[in-house]
Amino acid sequence: MTTDPHATTNHRATTDFHATTDSHATAAHHTTTHHAHRLATAALDWLHTHRHLGAFPPGATEIGDPDRVYKPLGETALAASLVLREGVAGPASLARARELLDFTWSEFRAGDLLYERQLRHWLLTDPLETYAHFARAGLRHDRLHALLEHSAAVGSATEVLPNRALAVANARRTTGIGAAPDWTALTRATWLGGTPEPWAIDWTTGYSLTHTVFHLTDWGARPHDLPPDLADYLTAWLPVWIDVWTEVAQWDLVGELLIVGACLPEPHLDPAEWQVLASVQHDDGLVPRDGDPVSDDPATRFADHQHPAVVAVIAGTLALSRLLTG
Amino acid sequence: MTTGGRVAETSLAGAADVLAGQVVDALRGRERPGLVAHVDACGDRTLVLGAVRLVGSDLFAPHLLTGHLLDPGDVEVVSDSFACFPVVRAPASHEQHVTAWRDWATATALLRLADPGEADPGPPGDADTVLGDPVEWQTWSVHVAQLAPLALPGLGGPVVDAVFGQPLALARGVTRSLLRRDHATSVRLARWTALLHHDRIDQPLDPHLLAEHLRLYAGTSARTALDLAITRRLLEAA
Repeated sequence: MTTDPHATTNHRATTDFHATTDSHATAAHHTTTHHAHRLATAALDWLHTHRHLGAFPPGATEIGDPDRVYKPLGETALAASLVLREGVAGPASLARARELLDFTWSEFRAGDLLYERQLRHWLLTDPLETYAHFARAGLRHDRLHALLEHSAAVGSATEVLPNRALAVANARRTTGIGAAPDWTALTRATWLGGTPEPWAIDWTTGYSLTHTVFHLTDWGARPHDLPPDLADYLTAWLPVWIDVWTEVAQWDLVGELLIVGACLPEPHLDPAEWQVLASVQHDDGLVPRDGDPVSDDPATRFADHQHPAVVAVIAGTLALSRLLTG
Repeated sequence: MTTGGRVAETSLAGAADVLAGQVVDALRGRERPGLVAHVDACGDRTLVLGAVRLVGSDLFAPHLLTGHLLDPGDVEVVSDSFACFPVVRAPASHEQHVTAWRDWATATALLRLADPGEADPGPPGDADTVLGDPVEWQTWSVHVAQLAPLALPGLGGPVVDAVFGQPLALARGVTRSLLRRDHATSVRLARWTALLHHDRIDQPLDPHLLAEHLRLYAGTSARTALDLAITRRLLEAA
């Protein structure tokens, strides 16, 4: 057997080239995985540890201001339901997610509170949207379900922002209620659906576009439901929007934009962007909503930063899931 | 000399604004004195030559865009400005590289207008050195904005080729500067988007909407007006 030194050299060179390329890609992959995992795990711990600060006052029979306890409880349930759905967290995190889901369900009195709210205000959509997080995790409230079936059949679509109409459509899809909507028409009515010039955006519109993606893809479960032109548009401009809102420390919106990256058919997961958000997370897991000073008062801390914690859990969970399973 | 430096600097900026305003007039088809007449009329020759050096290749935007004829005296004025403020021979810092490229643009514009058969002076370096890596589109696009005087038709060269090859990085830079309300950078980058449009290069932004937005929102300084007048002419000529 003769040895061809050139062949050997060429082979090695080729192999080394691939090894180098792969090692760069793998290093970036590992960095994002590390940040996403740490961000989600610590934020979930923080939500779990402080969950009682987000409870209704003892003996409360009314939800009071819906934005104060009711809405945040639903958001926490959403984050927990996605951790359970994706199943990429460790056993301790999965147990905490289950406990958070049970805690929020119990705050809603196993769905009775949602049922009563729907009974009283039968055209409101927030009981459906909140119920969907629990339905995603296999929970059910029969009487509420019957009300929601009826509302869908009546078809009284109250006038809301286009991205909110998508939220209702996704909640119906998740709960298996009602007929399939015209997803294309709903999508094209949103800011994102019009693919405007990427500089014609502001902070509020930024949130609108993230929610369009969340609902259209059911929080990353259906990345290919995003029309190709919207996926291309987001791939082009997401880095700019993340850069701009990172510079002004709008961490909550940055986290939402990172979720959008994890919801794309070809996910956008830039380690540098993840590193910045991970670097502002406190040791106890708190993720600040913005660059303002963080209060020392536990109740204020929870009230101010519960939302970015939810965002961080979802972002880290979905990123990890896409990195592990594609 | 407690105040001398500041007065000189302010005056130079003012002199450059006056000169830029004259180029805008020429681009809009208004009457204006020629460069030679302007220099002769100015009391401080060093100051006005400094202004010539600052406005640089843009002095010849009306010639390159609207067919103005070159006055042989213009060449002499530019030569005097280079003699008065010598060129950077061996650029080291980023600022020196930018200056070297802007000087190259002035010399190349003159060459295109005065004697098209003559060889180029040769670029003062490679595009990557002055622009950086387009993957780092934030800094890359700021460097592209600094080289807006190269965004003129017919100049060509490695920097123009590099920008033409990165329409997405350019568009991201435009978007970032607009969202940061950095209008000085936006108008310079808008010139580049207009040049890409002029040369029929596909890009992910609408250069017409961009130019109109900046006309309405970017203010009315002489420098901004000049960049936007060149942008408009490039779009019209496409």
